[in-house]
Amino acid sequence: MKHITDDDLTLLYYGEHENPELAAEVARSPELSRRFEALSSELLRMDELMPPVRADNYGSDVWRGIESKLISADLPAASPWKSWLSTMLQPRFSLAGAASLVLVASLAFMLGRQASQPIELTPAGSDTQTAAAYPGLDTERLLTASVSGHLEQLNLVLTQFAIQPQTSSTEAERATDMLVANRLYRKAAEDQGKHQLARFLAELEPLLIELAYEAHKASPETLNRMQQEVRDSLLFRVRVMNQQLKQPQIST
Amino acid sequence: MAFRELVLEHSHAMFRLAWRLCGDENAADDIVQEAFIKAWRKIGDFRMQSGFRSWLHRITVNTAMDYLRKQARVKQHETAAPELECLAAGSSHPKHDVQIDVQEQTRAAMMNLSDTERAALMLRHFEGHSIKEIAQILDLSSSACKQAVFRAVKKMRIELAPLVTT
Repeated sequence: MKHITDDDLTLLYYGEHENPELAAEVARSPELSRRFEALSSELLRMDELMPPVRADNYGSDVWRGIESKLISADLPAASPWKSWLSTMLQPRFSLAGAASLVLVASLAFMLGRQASQPIELTPAGSDTQTAAAYPGLDTERLLTASVSGHLEQLNLVLTQFAIQPQTSSTEAERATDMLVANRLYRKAAEDQGKHQLARFLAELEPLLIELAYEAHKASPETLNRMQQEVRDSLLFRVRVMNQQLKQPQIST
Repeated sequence: MAFRELVLEHSHAMFRLAWRLCGDENAADDIVQEAFIKAWRKIGDFRMQSGFRSWLHRITVNTAMDYLRKQARVKQHETAAPELECLAAGSSHPKHDVQIDVQEQTRAAMMNLSDTERAALMLRHFEGHSIKEIAQILDLSSSACKQAVFRAVKKMRIELAPLVTT
């Protein structure tokens, strides 16, 4: 019989020993039982080490402590963040936006969602039709990549809005473009059976509508409320969804 | 789920873990906040299959390790903290002191472990992570992680055995 070491007993104590017979073996042997009991008693002593108590609202305190730092944590240190508009108009963003719009249009075309063909009349689940029309084209991957790019832009826009919600008609136009893209992606996601993604994009629409049509004339209170919504929920969810899209094994 | 809700849900547990790792109440508060900010920044690195709790624990452990390394550098230029010296000295002769504070004794014993040993043991004993999970959290091989737990248990038993008999 193999010698039972204290390391074996430690693994047994933590339920991690590979030998399922070890517990019975220890129970049969008075010597092993004594050693196991000693080890258990000593390790149980550690449970008397009680951390200092924190109040029930500790989580709220932590949130208050980090809330303002979360947004600034996203910013490159040297960027002159005059407004979310100024950055949106930077070439990097504009190019990404243009590329995104091209992808949206391409995607709509390839999925048979051209303007000449009413979206509402197209039957759901038309993957086979699309695949047949464009053999060898991975439309699912294209959709995923396109939406991921869309969410990255949205993340940037929302981050900047959360810092400085100044708005203008130009910004509203940009938000309108994003709203249109968002709706096209949602429809494409629905058609591909990606219901979780479609629902998520649908949930973004009310805020995009507000950014497009309301923000430039909204009261400070309304802007504050929108900012809060972006900080507390939307930004994080956009990031998580984008991350999920980058993991092909996760069904969206 | 919004990030705020995750902060509300996990703050207490992260504080307990941070405190067990660093042994300092105020530092643990700072570690919790810093860990959440890092989590926010690194959300892109999160892999759903690893579990959010494990992922947060990994960030918390790394943040605590960074804190402990900084503390160690500071202490190189200072004399050892009298409190810990006292606790460590006391831990060698617990039977002679009828006023032994078991909690402090245990805490001192834990703080005498190496950072990796302490993290491995805390994650196994208090957080219930498997050796495999702990290896991922600490970025160790399973074998190295198991050995860290074994070493930690051996050292803790030496310190805690006298307390069991008193």
